[in-house]
Amino acid sequence: MVVIEMADDTLVAVGLHLDDLKRLRVLEPDVAQETSELKEECKEFIDKIGEFQSIVGGFISMVDGLSKEVEKEKMKAIGARNLLKSITKQREAQQQQLLALITEKRTQLERLRLQYDALLKVEAEQTDFVEQYLLQR
Amino acid sequence: MRLKTSLLKEPKHQDITCCVAWTSADEVYSVSDDHVILSWNNFTSEATKITQLPNEVFPTDIHWFPRTTVMGKQQSSASDFFALTATDGRLYLVSRTGKIEKKVEAHRGAVLSARWNHDGTALVSVGEDGQVKIWSRSGMLRSTLSQNSTPVYSVAWGPDNNVLYTNGKNLIIKSLQAGNAKPLQWKAHDGIILKADWNAVNNLILSGGEDCRYRVWDSYGRQLYSSSTSEYPVTSLAWTPDGELFAVGSFSTLRLCDKAGWSHALEKPATGSIFNIAWSVDGTQMVGACGNGHVIFAHIIERRVEWKQFELVVATRKTILVRNVTDDSREKLDFRDRIVKLSMAFNHLVVATTSQCYVYSSKNWNTPMIFDLKQSVSLIVQAEKHFLLVDSIGISLYSYEGRFLSSPKYVGLRANVLNLQTVSLSNDTVAVRDKADEKLVYLFEAHSGKALSDKPLAHKMEVVELALDQHGPMSERRLALIDKNRDLYLATVRTFGTAHKVMKLAVMIQSMSWNDDTNMLAALQDGRFTVWVYPNTAFVDQALLPKTITEKDSSEFGKNPFIISFLGNHVTLRRVDGSLVTTGITPYPAILHGYVSSAHWDEAVRLCRFVKETFLWASLAAMAAYAKELATAEVAYAAIDEADKVNYIQYIKELPSKEARNAEMALFGGSPQDAEGILLQGGLVFRAIMMHINLYSWDRALELALKHKTHVDTVLGFRQRYLVKFNKSETNKRFQQYAEGVDIDWAKIEAKIEMEEQKEREGKRK
Repeated sequence: MVVIEMADDTLVAVGLHLDDLKRLRVLEPDVAQETSELKEECKEFIDKIGEFQSIVGGFISMVDGLSKEVEKEKMKAIGARNLLKSITKQREAQQQQLLALITEKRTQLERLRLQYDALLKVEAEQTDFVEQYLLQR
Repeated sequence: MRLKTSLLKEPKHQDITCCVAWTSADEVYSVSDDHVILSWNNFTSEATKITQLPNEVFPTDIHWFPRTTVMGKQQSSASDFFALTATDGRLYLVSRTGKIEKKVEAHRGAVLSARWNHDGTALVSVGEDGQVKIWSRSGMLRSTLSQNSTPVYSVAWGPDNNVLYTNGKNLIIKSLQAGNAKPLQWKAHDGIILKADWNAVNNLILSGGEDCRYRVWDSYGRQLYSSSTSEYPVTSLAWTPDGELFAVGSFSTLRLCDKAGWSHALEKPATGSIFNIAWSVDGTQMVGACGNGHVIFAHIIERRVEWKQFELVVATRKTILVRNVTDDSREKLDFRDRIVKLSMAFNHLVVATTSQCYVYSSKNWNTPMIFDLKQSVSLIVQAEKHFLLVDSIGISLYSYEGRFLSSPKYVGLRANVLNLQTVSLSNDTVAVRDKADEKLVYLFEAHSGKALSDKPLAHKMEVVELALDQHGPMSERRLALIDKNRDLYLATVRTFGTAHKVMKLAVMIQSMSWNDDTNMLAALQDGRFTVWVYPNTAFVDQALLPKTITEKDSSEFGKNPFIISFLGNHVTLRRVDGSLVTTGITPYPAILHGYVSSAHWDEAVRLCRFVKETFLWASLAAMAAYAKELATAEVAYAAIDEADKVNYIQYIKELPSKEARNAEMALFGGSPQDAEGILLQGGLVFRAIMMHINLYSWDRALELALKHKTHVDTVLGFRQRYLVKFNKSETNKRFQQYAEGVDIDWAKIEAKIEMEEQKEREGKRK
């Protein structure tokens, strides 16, 4: 026992250790233990990170897709809005054309009205004349 | 009247169409910025490619070399080609097949327009460099007419080789003769003028510009019409060749207007701006060059003619609908070809199509008289017994049975510029105003087509309008004419060797028309509507003329109305705004004319007694005096308180011989020459001498006395008495000479006079 302990001390002095299974170790068993634990944990962490990355990647591509959709919709909306604007403009132009045509018709109507009035006057004159003529006879 | 337009679904040109032109009645050439010249068939609207111009040629205008008519013969110009202007500053002469015959460096910057004059002897071109250049037929530079600081956008030839061109907001007319008077220039628009046109027939100018208006001017630069502002600038306008209508083009707008300026119809086709408008030769079809590469075709439909109870409408190109308003019966007239002109008057409808002439009687719409035409008709004028067709070659008269009668012509006749104001027809006479010298009126016998006299009637001023009366015997034909000062004159037509007598009727006349069934003349005169019941009064008793008119205020017809027709007792007028108005006159003048023409003088007097109007009495007085119906004349003059004339007529009635009475009536009408002629013909020499003595025309009296070797002493005796009375001494050489050899013995003279009177009385008894 004592021998072992002494050997231990000598080993420690040269920086070597024996583990529980009396195998020769460079690191202290406790440290070795913790190191391996750390290693395990690291591996676990890397796995998790990897998983997270794939999840995030999926998310990003999804968001990208969404943004594309949104962009498309936006363009559509703008187009529709422009179309609407141009239609109002078209309508305005059409309205103007129709107004011009209406003015034209109105002047024609006015012309016909004047003609009609003149004819009415002639008719009245003629009736007067006939009446007068009959009276004088 | 409106335009019926047709437009293809897809434009045939790849780029804007710049200019268009008619080659024949049914073919159109169009040129575009895609460097292609297309030929269009008007019926099928099919376009075939003529040629591809070089890539650097961006055309601006094309104009066909005119088919010239010289002395009534059509010269089918073998060199069928056109002038094409382009933005590269060159002027191209291009053949019908599209081959560039000649290429001339014409302007710096773009050449904007080019126009041939009416006989093709000169071409005028204008460009962005502000120059106006004149070229020969073969493309040699003749002269630079004008140089301006701004681009000249449009140019047009006037009727007398004057050039009208635009300069910014101004219009300028410059004569081709060097060193001539200052060019006429006036500000025509508030924006830049883009287009101007000048019609040779009516001599009116048309302009349109960026101020979105179009305006009509006369050749002195006076504005006749100004349109209201529309939404877009006026980019094109063009007169029809006959000058009755014009078309105005702007952005997606096409307007058809009357020559007075008011608009017949408006179309809104999807064309973009219409850059150029061209009318076909017959003036019924037009074509426009559109900004979106289209070529728009249009033809006039719904042309309307009214005559008495008939209403005619050209419904389509080849059909006319006739409606009789009194019984509402309707007829549909179909034609093989396109209708070019129609005219209805005197119970006959004359329709000219592109190849034939149809004559319908209003009693029978089923069987027209048809004959073939060689040329496209530009004018139809009707009289009661026959009608007249004007085409580019000349004037032809036809009877209503379709028989060719005659073709009046004179040296220098330009038939294609005649219109209703410058040619007139009556049952026996044709009157045509000359174009080269507007003071001359050529008169022809209708049936033979021969000139009435060697020399034409020469008025002292330019004649702007003429009209022949329609009734009465041939020898009493009268020509009414309006001159440049708007004075109205009445002239005798058949003069039998003597000069034409021309009497002034009125001043400031805007428009006139003869009645269709009596010789009444209606005119519009500065705010008044006037009817001369018997215009011939001017030659019977001029002092009476103002009393023979019936007037009314014409303010109800607006400013500057125009008389369209004077049928029966109805006058139709066109107001400035284009509306037709009708007004009536009393029916009595027509009845009076009826009685007088059938020599029912008693009824005529009874009618006047019944109506009790001065103008009617005065007209009757003139009519009776003209017909030498002394009893009626006496009554009529008495009724209008002309005591002196009544006295004179009574004196005439007492005269023993017929010749003496006729001569006195001629004196009464104020024409001593006629009176002398009548007396000498009747052998009443003494009376003729006495007439001249009484008129104090001593020389003529002495001349007659010497010629007939009688009463020389009588003349000398009266001359002496006259001199003594006025306390004068003899200064007339001839009287001095004859007075020496003759003794004046009053007893002898009186005895001779007594003897003459005795002789005359005895002559009557025999």
